[in-house]
Amino acid sequence: MKLLAIFAAASLTGVFPQIDREPRFQFAGSDQLAFQITQGARADVFAAASPKYPEQLYAQGLCSKPAVFATNTVVLAVPRANPAHIHSIYDLRRDGIKLVIGAKGVPIGDYTRTMLAKLDLSSALKNVVSEEDDVKIVVAKVALGEADAGFVYRTDVKPVGNKVFRIAVPAAGQPTVRYELCIPTTSQHPKLAAAFVREVLSPRGRTALRTAGFGLP
Amino acid sequence: MKVLFGAAAAVALTFLALPVLAIFLRVSPTTLVHELNDPVARDALVVSLRTSALAQALVLVLGTPTAYLLATRRFRGRNVLLTVVELPLVLPPAVAGIGLFAAFGRTGLLSTSVPFTQLAVVLAIAFVSAPFFMRTAVASFEALDPTLIAAARTLGARPWRVFVRIALPLSAGGLGAGLALSFARGLGEFGATIMFAGSLQRVTQTLSLAIYAEFARNFDVALAMGAMLVAFSFFLLLVVKWLSFGWTSPFRSVPSSSA
Repeated sequence: MKLLAIFAAASLTGVFPQIDREPRFQFAGSDQLAFQITQGARADVFAAASPKYPEQLYAQGLCSKPAVFATNTVVLAVPRANPAHIHSIYDLRRDGIKLVIGAKGVPIGDYTRTMLAKLDLSSALKNVVSEEDDVKIVVAKVALGEADAGFVYRTDVKPVGNKVFRIAVPAAGQPTVRYELCIPTTSQHPKLAAAFVREVLSPRGRTALRTAGFGLP
Repeated sequence: MKVLFGAAAAVALTFLALPVLAIFLRVSPTTLVHELNDPVARDALVVSLRTSALAQALVLVLGTPTAYLLATRRFRGRNVLLTVVELPLVLPPAVAGIGLFAAFGRTGLLSTSVPFTQLAVVLAIAFVSAPFFMRTAVASFEALDPTLIAAARTLGARPWRVFVRIALPLSAGGLGAGLALSFARGLGEFGATIMFAGSLQRVTQTLSLAIYAEFARNFDVALAMGAMLVAFSFFLLLVVKWLSFGWTSPFRSVPSSSA
């Protein structure tokens, strides 16, 4: 039996298996997945949390023309116990807060930096205690109660809603988070891969994405 | 038989040496040195050296008396304690990471504010590397000639004096070898650190973490840091062999040029 290998952004961990539980998934930071594909990894579908990497691969002739399939928003996740008493993202300017964000190059890390700069909140970066390789590790460290706050996607908070609550980012700073997917030229099963892409873009796929809290293009 | 063994040895040695050699062959030495000037690499080197030095100081100061007790006393549960000391050797790094959280995390047993600090890196390194030192230290204390200790005691030396004047000097080679081994292991620490201490340039990002962070972003910098770690580890393991001359026989056939 032919099994597809789907390389998908960590933030798609919950929703992709709901759309199709058949394939083998690898969930990680989009930048790492793109790197693996440039190194020859046999991915059948590449779904990233930003257009940057699919477009780069497309420009290098390493994947098909990318399609937008979902959108998201950045929020601040705070543990329910809220040890640092954070009630607005402007509280992050205070000293002594343990803030966890995505590393540079990881989509959530880049969105976070852009957003903080737009809101004139870059001083919050002094509170960063760790830069993680993908958004799910940021979520995990906040949910564990070890970090005081972390910037993640809205959709990441839902699955850990009993441990974490979210604080909205002002609309003026909200980056445009677009998810794109494409079929790498290394794919062994391009037809099956195209079927998976159609499934994601289908009404059923869109319903699953919307239920998980994603926006739709 | 000779041919078979020779072939096996050739395959095994090539397999072990090839990835290491490949690191050095992939880019020229001048590029490697140049890439080490990258701020990420420089900061990581400082963090690695500082945290490793602190961790190994901890290991030495606390591990030596512990190893001495374990080597010289016979008591119930000694084997259990020796096993506790060895456990981090075989523990998956991720388990060490959650273990450190469970013990020292804010929501952990001792509920400290250590996570995500440089101290967290020190603890992670000490936790995974201490067994390398302590096993060697116990072995070298155990190898001491008991008649020497007994003689010192009958001549009126107190236990402390016996430890400082006899046990320590005679085991110095073994302790040094153990420390070098522990140091080498600590430099390569990755899993427990990235979980428990996180990864932040200039604070908690050690060489191993920086290599991981850079490999998708700037492969040459990652390669240069890798080459540096390889060279340093090779040197440390050579030191281990050299220090081991004095207390184990297998290396005695090799003539030593230095004292």
